[in-house]
Amino acid sequence: MWAYFKLEFFQFMRNKKNIAIYVILLFFSCYFAIKIAPTYNPIEKVEVNEIEARYETREEFLNNVVINDGTHHLTRYAAAIFPEWNEYDKQRLDAINQNNLKEYAEATYKWYAYSDNMIFYRGGGVLYYNPGYYTFGNNYATMDGHFGYLYNASRYEGYTEVNSDLTINIFEERTALQTLQRLLNSYLPLILIVSCILFTVDIVLKDRRNPTLLQGLPLSDWRKLMVKGFVSLLGSVLAIIPLSVGLLIIGVQNGFGDFGLPVPIYIADDIFSNRMMWEYLIQNMLLIIFWFSLIISLVLLASVTLKNEFANLFVASVLVLAELMYFNRGIGAIKDFHWYPTSYVQVGQITSGYRNYLYASEALTFGSGLAIIGLCTCMFLFFTFLLSNRRKFKLL
Amino acid sequence: MIELQRIGVQFTGRDILKEVTVTFMPGEIIGLVAPNGTGKSTLMNVIMNYINPSSGKVILNQELQYTTKKNEVKIRQLVSMMPDQSDLYNQISGKEHLKIYSSMWHSNPKLIDQTIKELGMESYIHKNTGTYSLGMRQRLCFAMQIVSDTQVMLMDEVMNGLDPTHVELISQILVKKKSEGKTVIVASHLLENLEKYADRIFFMKNGELIHVNDISPGFEEREITTLRIKELTDHLKEKISNEFPETNVKSLRNGSTLIDVRGYDSKKLGNVVEFLKVNEITEFSFGKVTLNDLYSMYYQEG
Amino acid sequence: MWNMLKTFFILEKSNKRNIFACISVAIFVFGLMFFVKTEDLGNAVKEKSGEYQSLSSALSQYQNVDATDSGNGSNLYKNLVLQQLLVSKQRMAIKMDRPELFMDAAIELTDLRTKSFGMEGFDNVESYLPSKIENQLDRVFYDYMNQTGIPLSIDSLTFFQFLSYLFVVLGSVWFVFISIYTCGIMIEDFQHTSLIKGYPITFDKYVIAKSIATMLIVGVFIVEIFIFSLPLLYFKGVGNPSYPIPVFDGVFTVYPIYKYIGVAILYMIFISIFTILLSVILNVLLKNMYLTLFVELLLFIVPMLFPNMMNLIPYNPFNYMNYSHLLNGQTPDLANPVVLNATHGLIYIGMSIVLMVVAVKIFLTTGKLKRV
Repeated sequence: MWAYFKLEFFQFMRNKKNIAIYVILLFFSCYFAIKIAPTYNPIEKVEVNEIEARYETREEFLNNVVINDGTHHLTRYAAAIFPEWNEYDKQRLDAINQNNLKEYAEATYKWYAYSDNMIFYRGGGVLYYNPGYYTFGNNYATMDGHFGYLYNASRYEGYTEVNSDLTINIFEERTALQTLQRLLNSYLPLILIVSCILFTVDIVLKDRRNPTLLQGLPLSDWRKLMVKGFVSLLGSVLAIIPLSVGLLIIGVQNGFGDFGLPVPIYIADDIFSNRMMWEYLIQNMLLIIFWFSLIISLVLLASVTLKNEFANLFVASVLVLAELMYFNRGIGAIKDFHWYPTSYVQVGQITSGYRNYLYASEALTFGSGLAIIGLCTCMFLFFTFLLSNRRKFKLL
Repeated sequence: MIELQRIGVQFTGRDILKEVTVTFMPGEIIGLVAPNGTGKSTLMNVIMNYINPSSGKVILNQELQYTTKKNEVKIRQLVSMMPDQSDLYNQISGKEHLKIYSSMWHSNPKLIDQTIKELGMESYIHKNTGTYSLGMRQRLCFAMQIVSDTQVMLMDEVMNGLDPTHVELISQILVKKKSEGKTVIVASHLLENLEKYADRIFFMKNGELIHVNDISPGFEEREITTLRIKELTDHLKEKISNEFPETNVKSLRNGSTLIDVRGYDSKKLGNVVEFLKVNEITEFSFGKVTLNDLYSMYYQEG
Repeated sequence: MWNMLKTFFILEKSNKRNIFACISVAIFVFGLMFFVKTEDLGNAVKEKSGEYQSLSSALSQYQNVDATDSGNGSNLYKNLVLQQLLVSKQRMAIKMDRPELFMDAAIELTDLRTKSFGMEGFDNVESYLPSKIENQLDRVFYDYMNQTGIPLSIDSLTFFQFLSYLFVVLGSVWFVFISIYTCGIMIEDFQHTSLIKGYPITFDKYVIAKSIATMLIVGVFIVEIFIFSLPLLYFKGVGNPSYPIPVFDGVFTVYPIYKYIGVAILYMIFISIFTILLSVILNVLLKNMYLTLFVELLLFIVPMLFPNMMNLIPYNPFNYMNYSHLLNGQTPDLANPVVLNATHGLIYIGMSIVLMVVAVKIFLTTGKLKRV
């Protein structure tokens, strides 16, 4: 078994296709670190001018406003809510001018919490979130803003509690680890899963080119398949190495961040709770590895049934892309899509709870993800096992 | 008619083929015999122009040469090489393979069914070749070339993996093709079988093509030329060397001893038999040198 | 040649790859129907609400002041207020089913926007508004609608409406699909070299026959798209084949749906031939189908990763591999604008095809194929 593993692993590593995948991942990670990461322009920035302008306008209004019977109700409203709001802005300004980032985090946390409360529940069409959310064509800007503000409130609250050295880069989520966290929320899981598909797609069928060489090995087909699956899993996990190069570059530029940094997790009903960065990353890693296993077991099953690389590619892509067909914002409230393994493809968004927010559901959690994907993996493996133990079965 | 003129091929400084000049005529079966790695396949590849020789040329029917792509196509139309059985398309049937070859070479479609029948392939010809055994695949490859019906046919290891019945069957077809005026060039290790139908047999050594007649004159003649004795003790060997001139006795690696009796009349041969009987040698035969013997003799030193 | 085609026909009909490619096309068509349905694309009420919100937040940048002509607000402010007014009017028009009102407001809106682009302070509100190109596309669209009196389409799932959307989406993925489909086009042959090497046919003829055979299958895919969309005829109706789609083709203009589909299919055919030949050449050079695929995809995304290159080498055929990108006029909107023109694109791709055929003819022969 060990000898067969070594044989497969060396074949895997010498496979031109696999080497090419690693090289391409390296290229993309460097391209990202050098060209894309520096242009990252978060909606929620630490922008003294912006705070100052807002603070002063409102302060001027508060100083000059005269409330009497004839005052418009909106003016009354403004006069009622601006004092507290401005208090937070003032604290933020003072803190940032004194370079006291801890205090800035404290005030900012309160500011976001208060702002969201005002805008979302009492905004009534006159108060808006940061304009960055309202891009042309975004029909869900308010929902995005709502999430963004709560997320930031929770994040800044977390900063007040951690022992790490705070920097502006941390506030703007530019450090290497936070970049990783952001990427996990967008394309990174997909890139990893697609790499895994490409790694696995020929692992069984490549032997067709020299079948007699391998047919006689004293190892059952099922075990061979398991070894192949394991090699592919290992290879997929190793894809992290070229990707981490880009992270190193970002780390050198913007700092690496800290494994103790808080990551806000959306629970339900506008409640967030913070998790440590290391915890979040481990959860993601775990879920991604589960996804790898799912993909590998599916491709193994497809390999022994359909026996065509193009078919493998097709089946695996369907699994990855299926969510596009039914996903719609808020659909989770109507239908139980959390039973579909395909709903968990956005790994980072699952662990951070954002997917729950988009689905308007509470069921798409890390735990249910592990359970459902694990179950499906077992099912695929079980079918493969049954097939490979049939008397007429031929691996190639 | 296909002519090779001073063909030379070198790989990494070593001569694989050295100034090979030979002409193969229509209605002739040529046997190529040589140990592995002496350039049989290289020679065939040169004839097919899969390998560019470093010198020399191949001339077909006194006019066609591999000078342009157009000519190459014209030659391909007339010269074919048997496909490798590992190259068959596993997902289509044998019949479809034959159809492909038939249509590629514009040959008479009737040949397909005829060949299937001749080779006894009816029972499995409609199954996917992925399910075939080695021998079935080999027969299919042979059938494909027969169906292509080219003037010159090159067959490398045509009898590989075939049982004696099918070796015989294919031999008969080869003879039939010869009578149709085809030039068939066969490389084979089944020497006895080759001897039966080949008109000319060549050995290959050090990049050269050697006609068997040149090694053993009279090889192709119909007369008794050789006495061959199996299993001799050293004592007897000595006796024999006293009895016969030394140059006429040859011990082969396969254990047998050949004694040249060319030109002996019946009386002389009778004496020889007498001698053998006296010495209690029972396993002997008179006849020609067999190809097997020649092979052993010729490649002994190598 | 004809024999070669017959041979390919025998081989291709037993190739599972074709079956799965056909299924993927089917899934693509049906998946897109679901997507259009769940996303509620073309729902004007929804779109106008979003537009209204964008304008509101643009206006939130300003203090509320008197927005009348004589008022003391900036020109841009007044302009935005008017825009918002018009969007409200459009929302109303949809609800009251008054298309002519909607149309008038739409034209007025594009006018206002055109004016706003040059106004002071526009940079601050840029992200809330459609881009200049989008606005110009809107303009030609509504102008055309106004002139011809075609009624506004409200159901994007009628046959032709859906097809127009489908071919737009297809524009972005067609090259990728064909790359995946053809990346092993010669590799399979390399496993059967001793059969192929001796064929009495030159390699360029072989490649051309292979391309024709593959193109016939690609043709089947295209026909498939129409066939699988047919159920919409029954459920949703035909739609209007002359319904305009605004495009940028050197100038801003509209194509009726049938013309757009025609151009799209023409492009798809050219792209397919181009990709097939590219796959053949890369297969021979790299001897590995995945490397071929990766190289093709990299070439495809290079113009996106480095948009400046488009300006530098406008004749790079890969600039034109995404025809819907080309026709929606995004390229003149880049930092280094280039005017990529659909006709030129076809010419460049066509020239590349010729070059590749010549390269195949000169450099490649069957006899030298090596087994992999």
